Amino acid sequence: MATTELHKPGVGHTSRPVAQRKPLTVGRIALYVTLSVISLLMVVPFVWMVLTSLKTPVEIASQDAGLLPEHWDFSNYSEALTAAPFATYARNSFIIATSHTLLNLVFASMAGYALARIRFRGSEVIFYLFIAALMIPTYTKVLPEFLIVRFMPLAGGNDLFGQGGSGWLDTWWALIVPGAVTPFAVFLFRQFYLDLPVELEEAARLDGLGEFRIYARIMTPQVKPALITVTLLTFESSWNNFLWPLLVTRTDSLRVIQVGLSVFKTENGPQWHFLMAGTTLATLPMVILFLIGQRYFVQGFATAGLK
Amino acid sequence: MELKRRSLLAAIGAGTAAAALSGCGTGSTAAGSADGPAEGEITLLTPIYENANGKTLLEKEILGGFRKKYPDVKVNVDYTTYAHLNEKITTGMAGGLLPDVLMMGVGWIPPFAAKKAIAPLPEKFATAHDYEKRVLEPSRYDGKLYALPVVLDTRIVVYRKDHFAEAGIKKTPANWAELRAVAKQLTKDGRIGFDPFSIDLRQCWETFLFANGGQLFSADGKKVLFTDSRGVEALEFFKDLIKDGSANYAKKTDPGAPTNVQTGRASMMMTTSALWEQVREQNPELLKDDTLGAFVLANRKPAMLQGGTLVTQSASSKHPAAARALVEYLATPESILGAAKQRGSVPGLKDLSDSSYVKENKFVDLSLQNMGAACSEGGTAAWMEIREKIKPTLEPAIVGGQSAKDAIAELGRLAEAAIGRM
Repeated sequence: MATTELHKPGVGHTSRPVAQRKPLTVGRIALYVTLSVISLLMVVPFVWMVLTSLKTPVEIASQDAGLLPEHWDFSNYSEALTAAPFATYARNSFIIATSHTLLNLVFASMAGYALARIRFRGSEVIFYLFIAALMIPTYTKVLPEFLIVRFMPLAGGNDLFGQGGSGWLDTWWALIVPGAVTPFAVFLFRQFYLDLPVELEEAARLDGLGEFRIYARIMTPQVKPALITVTLLTFESSWNNFLWPLLVTRTDSLRVIQVGLSVFKTENGPQWHFLMAGTTLATLPMVILFLIGQRYFVQGFATAGLK
Repeated sequence: MELKRRSLLAAIGAGTAAAALSGCGTGSTAAGSADGPAEGEITLLTPIYENANGKTLLEKEILGGFRKKYPDVKVNVDYTTYAHLNEKITTGMAGGLLPDVLMMGVGWIPPFAAKKAIAPLPEKFATAHDYEKRVLEPSRYDGKLYALPVVLDTRIVVYRKDHFAEAGIKKTPANWAELRAVAKQLTKDGRIGFDPFSIDLRQCWETFLFANGGQLFSADGKKVLFTDSRGVEALEFFKDLIKDGSANYAKKTDPGAPTNVQTGRASMMMTTSALWEQVREQNPELLKDDTLGAFVLANRKPAMLQGGTLVTQSASSKHPAAARALVEYLATPESILGAAKQRGSVPGLKDLSDSSYVKENKFVDLSLQNMGAACSEGGTAAWMEIREKIKPTLEPAIVGGQSAKDAIAELGRLAEAAIGRM
């Protein structure tokens, strides 16, 4: 029921004044207190990260130091930025995350639409294969994907049989193509397209629209929560990806922000002041993205969960 | 999760890499001759030279000198972390594109030499500088030299001199009985007498095993030797300390965080020689006031676990002469001293024992003076698999009710199975 309400536009606006007139019950107060405590617990690590990024190493190590920095050391940020080419890393992360997001939106929505709205032999099997792909642990796929990238025919000096060169290794192709479409996004889009009324599709057909235009002009604009959810999830996972970019790149010019941050994690322990400054900066794009799309994001998850 | 993930990837990688290297795969490349002129473009894979200082040191100072000496060699540096080094090497092997020059940990040479992933070096490299004999032991496999040491990290006991003085303790413990008694005596008011757990449990137990006269494997690396009473006693000692209340696994600190000895929450701790640099940055007053001392753990014999980073060359390098030249250059006293200073590590050359860096860093100085007591982990081709299993297998004996004997026996079975698969 809660999900149904979420789908009704404007429900939140009309019901809010009514809710305010209701007397506060003990249960509601308990709910607010619980949610406040949970929110506080969620925000504490973030606050700690920001405050630690402004402390000196001596202060971080001190037992007597309070939560707030004694001397607000903003130079941690400038020094962290000079420790490695973070502008290049951030640019690379942005290009990869944006590419993944766009490709996932286009191809996963097409696949989801086909699986939900087009009847064809084997569609059920293909859908179950997507579900099965969701169950495969990421780390079991790393090596096969690495080998596919390495032995990519006619790329990076390779011949037709993938021999002789380095394939896609240390190229944008290796960073972008393997993570471009996710089974989860296909699954999510299918669930949303399934929910759309068949009358909408039939009316479009009567008006003479072809399949692609029905998908692009009629149906896809109706699944905005799915588009926002996939955008946020894809961008977030791509922005935070560490292992794959580390494995397939060798040169600094192709390294990403998460790999760049590892420069502060030495074998003898992290340089906390720099690591937290760098992490704060790396977190900002995700926070901004979530603030912009949070309403649709919640809707997206709620709707997917209903199916 | 971390262990499962890494083990899984390592297992898949090892299988694929073995296939690739034995000719079943398609990625093997023909290696050239190391006797020709040093020229070409090569790649160096390194888990050290971290942060801005390390990068400047490597790319400007060390490689700057190398470029002057070998102007026809271009070196591309591939930085990684120790946490992901094995994955980088394993995937590189599987893809037949191993970097030309690799830096790896102590104990890693036999596994990669056995797979023929790395190439032997000329024996004359072993006598080019004044190495301690034990320093070069982890660089050898099957009697051949495969690597040269760049930096060493030793495991020693650091203690609070003020706590010792307050308790009237005049000398450092010479064996485990004394260590246990002193730890008990120093435990009071929430302070623990001894913290052995703030370093990796694997390396800590190994240090105690060696100090108890034990060994990990036979000389040929095919037989497990740590399952005897010496290995069990080493683990049992931790349980005894916990029973006394003078050690507490829950009070261990994370790498990089102020240690219990720094904060005064422990009077002694097992740590690495690199702690000196950490204290200098976080609690310089402790060094100024001469509050910290250090000694080498001893029971049946003194033992100091010797970890560190070695440099070796790929067996499939297309420019072996250039790769060999870089290996040699990274192990020169100048390069070693720079890397050691940057990381607070031990330079493993007698030539450098009188350098101002060594004399100023008392933990490094102590380590160099006791290199005769240094012992290394590894020694078997199955080490990469076994090393991942030591901590999770021994931990239940410390935090749970499992007996030390059962935990060691279980570890022995896992190690034998891993060796059997080689």
